[in-house]
Amino acid sequence: MAFPKELIRNFCIIAHIDHGKSTLADRLMQLTQTVAERDMEEQLLDSMDIERERGITIKSTAVRMFYTAKDGKEYMLNLIDTPGHVDFTYEVSRALAACEGAVLVVDATQGIEAQTLANVYLALDNDLDIIPVINKIDLVSADPENAIHEIEDIIGLPAQDAPRVSAKTGLNVEEVLERIVSDIPAPEGDAEAPLKALIFDSLYDNYMGALSYVRVMDGTVRPGDRIRFMHSGNEFDVTEVGIFDPHRKPVKELTAGEVGYISASIKSVAETKVGDTITLASAPAKEPLHGYKQANPMVFCGIYPADGADYEALKEALDKLILNDASISYEPETSQALGYGFRCGFLGLLHMEIAEERLEREFDLDLVTTAPSVIYRVIMLDGSVRMIDNPSNLPSPMEIQRMEEPMVEANIMTPPEYVGSIMELCQEKRGFFIDMTYLEENRVKLTYRMPLNEIIFDFFDGLKSRSRGYASFDYELGEYEESDLVKLDFLLNGDMCDALSTIVHRDKAYAKGRAVAEKLQEVIPRQQFEIPIQAAIGGKIIARETVRAVRKDVLAKCYGGDITRKKKLLEKQKEGKKRMRQVGTVSVPSEAFMSVLRIN
Amino acid sequence: MAGLYIHIPFCKRKCRYCDFISFPDYKNEDLYFVALVSEMRKYAPLMKDRHFDTVFIGGGTPTSLKPGRIAALLSEAKNCFDIAENAEITVEANPESATEEKLKELYDAGADRLSIGLQSANDIELHAIGRIHTRDDFLRAVSAARKVGFTNINADVMHGLPGQTKESYLETLRLVTDLELPHISSYALILEEGTPLFDDVNAGKVMLPDPDDTADMEDAGFAFLESAGYSRYEISNFAKEGFSCRHNLNYWDNGEYLGIGLNSHSALRLKGDWTRFRNTDMLNEYIAELGEGRLPVRDTRKIERDEEMFETIMLGLRKTEGIIRADFAARFGCDPVEHYAPAVAELEADGMAETTETILRLTRRGLDFQNEALIKFMEQ
Repeated sequence: MAFPKELIRNFCIIAHIDHGKSTLADRLMQLTQTVAERDMEEQLLDSMDIERERGITIKSTAVRMFYTAKDGKEYMLNLIDTPGHVDFTYEVSRALAACEGAVLVVDATQGIEAQTLANVYLALDNDLDIIPVINKIDLVSADPENAIHEIEDIIGLPAQDAPRVSAKTGLNVEEVLERIVSDIPAPEGDAEAPLKALIFDSLYDNYMGALSYVRVMDGTVRPGDRIRFMHSGNEFDVTEVGIFDPHRKPVKELTAGEVGYISASIKSVAETKVGDTITLASAPAKEPLHGYKQANPMVFCGIYPADGADYEALKEALDKLILNDASISYEPETSQALGYGFRCGFLGLLHMEIAEERLEREFDLDLVTTAPSVIYRVIMLDGSVRMIDNPSNLPSPMEIQRMEEPMVEANIMTPPEYVGSIMELCQEKRGFFIDMTYLEENRVKLTYRMPLNEIIFDFFDGLKSRSRGYASFDYELGEYEESDLVKLDFLLNGDMCDALSTIVHRDKAYAKGRAVAEKLQEVIPRQQFEIPIQAAIGGKIIARETVRAVRKDVLAKCYGGDITRKKKLLEKQKEGKKRMRQVGTVSVPSEAFMSVLRIN
Repeated sequence: MAGLYIHIPFCKRKCRYCDFISFPDYKNEDLYFVALVSEMRKYAPLMKDRHFDTVFIGGGTPTSLKPGRIAALLSEAKNCFDIAENAEITVEANPESATEEKLKELYDAGADRLSIGLQSANDIELHAIGRIHTRDDFLRAVSAARKVGFTNINADVMHGLPGQTKESYLETLRLVTDLELPHISSYALILEEGTPLFDDVNAGKVMLPDPDDTADMEDAGFAFLESAGYSRYEISNFAKEGFSCRHNLNYWDNGEYLGIGLNSHSALRLKGDWTRFRNTDMLNEYIAELGEGRLPVRDTRKIERDEEMFETIMLGLRKTEGIIRADFAARFGCDPVEHYAPAVAELEADGMAETTETILRLTRRGLDFQNEALIKFMEQ
């Protein structure tokens, strides 16, 4: 018999990075004896190495816990853990849609942060009931009254009776469980109605294939059922359904209100798209759940093996990575400078960095990455439109009528003392000021309309350094706008290096061209001949640097009979050479392609 | 024909750029001497079929040993090994310890070649690199060496030293050529990690000349030496006619040599296999193991034919006359120009190598970029 629906609570935890989300989740699992003490590994939910190291959640996960409340009844609590970064806003929104309530964790020493706020608004949009929790009250610098004051002022949520806890020591955590039971409504939905299961995440398992993590809204699903993905139309036979306690455990059925996984021998997570609705092929629901969006990559870059011989290995690694993250797109591309590689698309810059890191770490690859690019809309003279995600593919200016670039609306939260320097930064990044509001005495929200292309470089770093880390921001993708864009090229000893080309606004081309040329001059080693480095727009040279010729490259010393030393030095030099790319006559170290990404 | 090398790992003071194995502490001098003798005696039966054509006693500072020690080592070497009557026997000396008395001992013991570590004839430069001698010490050493009978004398000099200029380098060279020493080795300073000079340069306490200035020095200095009648027979070595160093030429011909002493390296054909090994670089191990009657050998490696070929290229192309194709063919059964055809063709096209019917050699430019040339051979 199914678990009584009125005793189920589906919730998530919203918190800023470092505010203690994972620690609280760990503590809840401990209190409900979901994990034995001895299995307790810190931050159990964040299973990927990178997640643990960076202290962020990239994938969503879910855990089922049982809790006997003070009213004597046993409740089933499903905790859905959500990613915590702007790149993954859509994933977060789907995870939230799978819940009825959210626990908002606020650090008593820090107060509420911009990113948290964005997720709180997402939760409110999804009609979630929110339980504020003040964490880290064990710290000397804790100021729970201020945190409560912020929650009430900024979000407008009564917070006087918010549990004041220390997830670290376990103090008052039980109170959170009681509040989940009392404040969050039981799921609605009809177990007998046609199946509607919301996919809030998916994961690739080597043995079972792609698993859909679902919240069943209506109906019931069992092994043997033929299911249909309503947006893609694909159908599969269910081989297993199960729950997380916190490891996967098969069950007989998942029914309305429950959270779990569905396995149906699906080859790739690309077929189990987050936000899609699963229904039964035999008795389909009339309409899918709303809110489905195709998650489109916004940031593109070329990824190449540092050693050309590793192309196949890179391809295999990407194939495997995609199994687990369908939001990454990739297709083969070739560069004169870098040889064979892939043009890859990501949800955002963090997503890109994480993917690169995973490729290098989990697949032991050495990569060269080109500067990230957004997708430009190019309106040709004949009126046709081309979408360009690789500067090398930009048609000649002669054929172009105009160009457009994607804009975002960026919300920046900062203490007032940094407003001046942040506005300067936004100005430098071609932002249009839209609004400034005092959220409260010591918190200002700046709203700018900015080109995405400016954000994907070093905007975040700039924001952090100009606000001593206090400012945070998120953005929403807006419309395309016409812009005076040019392609900036770099020539090494007269040969154009396609992997270095970028599309920039005309006003910034000179500064950027000069900065990159200077940087290249530093990182390109001296060679047997003098190397002119030129930055050019169209045919016009706008900056020039020179790498002087090296005069000698020979081991003068004879080291007596110790020729192993000489051999080792040569080996090392040879290895270094292998990591160089040939651009025309010039050897360019792999690092050069990346060092141009960070120009200040 | 094989070479014999004997290492003396003691110095009065360690120079700031030096990364060779040597200690400024003589407390183990006697034990070390005993160990050297035991090592030679252990090798004696193993080397009875080899003829030694050159002996080189290097260091460290061999002339800083107690009186009589070098003579005793040479006499022991002659007892243990078949050393040719006309063998070239070199001893390294530093100007401050090359007294007439010491030099006479060496000469009388059979040494016929003296290699003096001059490095620079500029006292400020000498001080900067931690040498303990002066220009005058060098002049005294040369005249003492000549007085006791040495005619085959080398001076080691360096360029790229802190504070050095093209003019001061040329002055050093001019001093040597004016003295008419028949051999000069001129090495560019290599900043080795772990040396005090390396640390000082990194800490910004010492400035080295710009690499371009060092290259200018070298070009000017080498041109000067050639104009003074010295011919460059190896990347860093110059000699008057008939005074090339046979011991070093044997290294560059990838010939056999036996190293005696701490961290000495050896290359020998053993049962048909080209084999390299070295001695331990720990003084206590060296003394202890020989005390127990064992050879303190480390890192014995059989060198495969391909690698032996590359070694022969790597070493042979240091010589300006290059590699004699017939010698290479006699050793490996193939012609180097044919065997390394793609690399050779590329280097010839770049003006870095040239070939004739009989030889394969690097051009002047090829010698300047020898590393790059060798990588081409490696990659093939």
